[in-house]
Amino acid sequence: MDNESVIQIRNLSKVYRDFWGRKKVQALNSLSLDVKKGEIFGLLGPNGSGKTTTMKLLLGLLFPTEGEITILGRPAHDVEKNERIGYLPEESYLYRFLNADETLDFYGRLFKMSPQVRKERKDALIEQVGLQHARRRQLKEYSKGMTRRIGLAQALINDPDLVMLDEPTSGLDPLGTRDMKDMILKLRDEGKTVVMCSHLLADVQDVCDRIAILYGGELKVMGSVSELLQAQDETQMLTTHLSDEALAEVEAVLAKHQAKMMKVDHPKTTLEDLFLRTIQESQARPGRRFVPGERPGEDGNSAAANSTDTAKVEGAAS
Amino acid sequence: MFFDPEPFNMGLAAIQWLLTLCICCGIALAVVVVLSLSVSGVSGPANVWRAVIRGVRDIVDMSPKRIGAVASLTLKESLRRQDVLVGVVFVLLFMFAGWFLSSANVDTPAKPYISFVLTAIRWLILPVALLLSCWGLPADIKARSLHTVVTKPARRSEVVLGRMLGYSSLMTVGVAIMGLVGYVWITRQVPESAQHQLISRVPQYGQLTYLDRTGAPSFSGINVGDMWDYRSFVEGNTKAAAIFTFKDLNTNRLSQDDQLQLEYRFEVFRTHKGDIEKAVQAQFTLVNEQSGLRVPYPRVPFEVKEFADMQARSAEDDGRLPIITIPRELTYTPEGELSSKTVDLFEDVIHDGTLTVQVRCVDQGQYLGAARTDLFVRLPDKTFAVGYFKAIWGTWMMAILVIVLGTTASTFVKGPVATLLTFAMVLTGLTLRPFMSGVLEQYQQTGVVQGGGMLESAYRMVTQMNTQVELPGGFLTEAIQWIDDRMLQGLLLLQNVIPDFTHFDMTPYVANGFDVPWNNAMMPSIATTLAFILPALILGYFCLQWRELEAK
Repeated sequence: MDNESVIQIRNLSKVYRDFWGRKKVQALNSLSLDVKKGEIFGLLGPNGSGKTTTMKLLLGLLFPTEGEITILGRPAHDVEKNERIGYLPEESYLYRFLNADETLDFYGRLFKMSPQVRKERKDALIEQVGLQHARRRQLKEYSKGMTRRIGLAQALINDPDLVMLDEPTSGLDPLGTRDMKDMILKLRDEGKTVVMCSHLLADVQDVCDRIAILYGGELKVMGSVSELLQAQDETQMLTTHLSDEALAEVEAVLAKHQAKMMKVDHPKTTLEDLFLRTIQESQARPGRRFVPGERPGEDGNSAAANSTDTAKVEGAAS
Repeated sequence: MFFDPEPFNMGLAAIQWLLTLCICCGIALAVVVVLSLSVSGVSGPANVWRAVIRGVRDIVDMSPKRIGAVASLTLKESLRRQDVLVGVVFVLLFMFAGWFLSSANVDTPAKPYISFVLTAIRWLILPVALLLSCWGLPADIKARSLHTVVTKPARRSEVVLGRMLGYSSLMTVGVAIMGLVGYVWITRQVPESAQHQLISRVPQYGQLTYLDRTGAPSFSGINVGDMWDYRSFVEGNTKAAAIFTFKDLNTNRLSQDDQLQLEYRFEVFRTHKGDIEKAVQAQFTLVNEQSGLRVPYPRVPFEVKEFADMQARSAEDDGRLPIITIPRELTYTPEGELSSKTVDLFEDVIHDGTLTVQVRCVDQGQYLGAARTDLFVRLPDKTFAVGYFKAIWGTWMMAILVIVLGTTASTFVKGPVATLLTFAMVLTGLTLRPFMSGVLEQYQQTGVVQGGGMLESAYRMVTQMNTQVELPGGFLTEAIQWIDDRMLQGLLLLQNVIPDFTHFDMTPYVANGFDVPWNNAMMPSIATTLAFILPALILGYFCLQWRELEAK
């Protein structure tokens, strides 16, 4: 086995059958992939593409029809492997009658942690996911975002080497989404391996190092995000604002190198970025209202909003 | 009432248990291997073998800490879902039950109170145990909460055992509280005049043989025409006698009281009216088989009423209990002698812990009916609480067994089906099991069953052929009998798989003022429950382990 591989999947197939053993759905077909240590790996695909099935096969919640799975050097059905795994299910299927403290205590006991260690982990995780104010409330009173946070906390109770997250940002507001993405990146920084599946492409793009795209139970694309998204036959430049004359000169230079200016416009921020900055600004200066055209986070100076240009160039690279 | 407690043979039961477990495991393994061959081809048996080894390891390596975690989760779940509200029903029952039980016409005033309390506790605990255990795991699987547990290092055997323990803890608390409340209620509600019935008599039963009218030993007495052959009768004023032999009497313990008490419940069958105002008379003779010493006691015959219950009632009305108290010093006149002699009960009459009592009917033409339990040595009484709480223990054992069965059923079917399945087992164990045991005992002893097996019975019903008529010879008869034979052999195995829930009902003992015997009642109930825990855990583990929790 490759020493760097945390997960190895070889020719994995899964067929769902009906009561009589007749084939109902081929959920996965001959899937092979590796997840390396310390990376954030994203499983992408439309609904029914087999990403959640793959995750459940990895966790031993389903049994493969064919193929082999090795996680942390052990087969998927081996319960010992779970000592080093943390799992956040798609919905946070936790015990609704427990409160946050009791929830983490219960999962900590499953890892045979001592009461002292459990208490330390509980306190740290509850603070990390921002649920100090609600730690004594039963989970049935939690909002969806709070449930996701406590779900993540239970997944991290054992300080796992491998974290598996099924739709981690589903149901979270933009602030929660950002927090979740920050936490995922932090996990990678701590040397942990993260496998996540999601259909929120922007989130995957933001955090994943490598991705695999599944369709109809088959692997269609796999590689690093930066490589897969890079357009090799195009060049993009970001400059400060250019006048029409300057643009004309640039175009002339490009023509000299047999390149063509394809598009010139002003760069746009993302809606997520705008939303987050609005919230941050509102927290910093309560009562202030932004006028149309003004961009928060830039001290109300709307002129600065249009101070950069992007140019997309197609042609021979020099 | 039929009552003939046989000592429980623990060794035989253990062998039978082991044999049944091995046969069941063998059958299950064979089925799984065949299925694996059809699904995975030649690699199937090897996969099964690996899974079995893994299963054994998972069961052996179970962690008490994780089991405790699941058990405490189960307990919290039940408390927070307010499953304990059944206690309200219990309290309501007890608040108003007194109105309906305070009849002064009953023969034994304490009996309805005791029966009511023990029955109420049993039938309140049973549905709670059934529903809790049958719905817990399926609800967990449906809500997918179990996913977050089994993706931790928790083995599925730990989940099953943890669930069983959690529900058992809850039931333990419930039964204990109900038991205590019930005890206080009985002691306060039973009328003052019947308080003396709140005792736990400790009987020591003997073996019963007979002498016929010529004085020759006989296995049984005379059948006076009763369908019910519980009692056998001895003819009056002949050499016929019912001989009770009590062994292993603890003379050291008995001699502390300087007396021996014999309690009796005989019945009488009259062939002629005789003196209708005078009861039929009987006579005891204490016999030392070793020395041949024969001491008639009491010196004059005593009266026996027609029916056993009437006898008890009448005796109590007269201020006499159906008890004969034999003092340590016995004075009697030997047959053919004029002078009387005095002997020591424990030194001269009881030999090596064995006492023989011959019971004769004195009146000519009348018959005295005796069953093994109609005469017993009454050992020093215990308090009512001892017998009562032993009966509560029986209810607790039943609750534990229901939980074990329910939790196991819920590992392979959904809640409603698990409830039905477990309830069917309880009902079968309570009602059909004694009937099944009777039929199979007959089959084991004689090789045939009266009226035939299932197919033969059906054939006889359809053709309106009674059970005394021989079936016509031929292939059809042979086929029917062959199939019946196999089915009866299958039933023999099934008999051991369906728990005998009658062991858990100890109400008759307590309600009739007896202690619950350890050997005849407590041991069978404990052994029945223990016997099912390991097989249920194994079955539950493999069902949950081989179940795809996310199967579509």
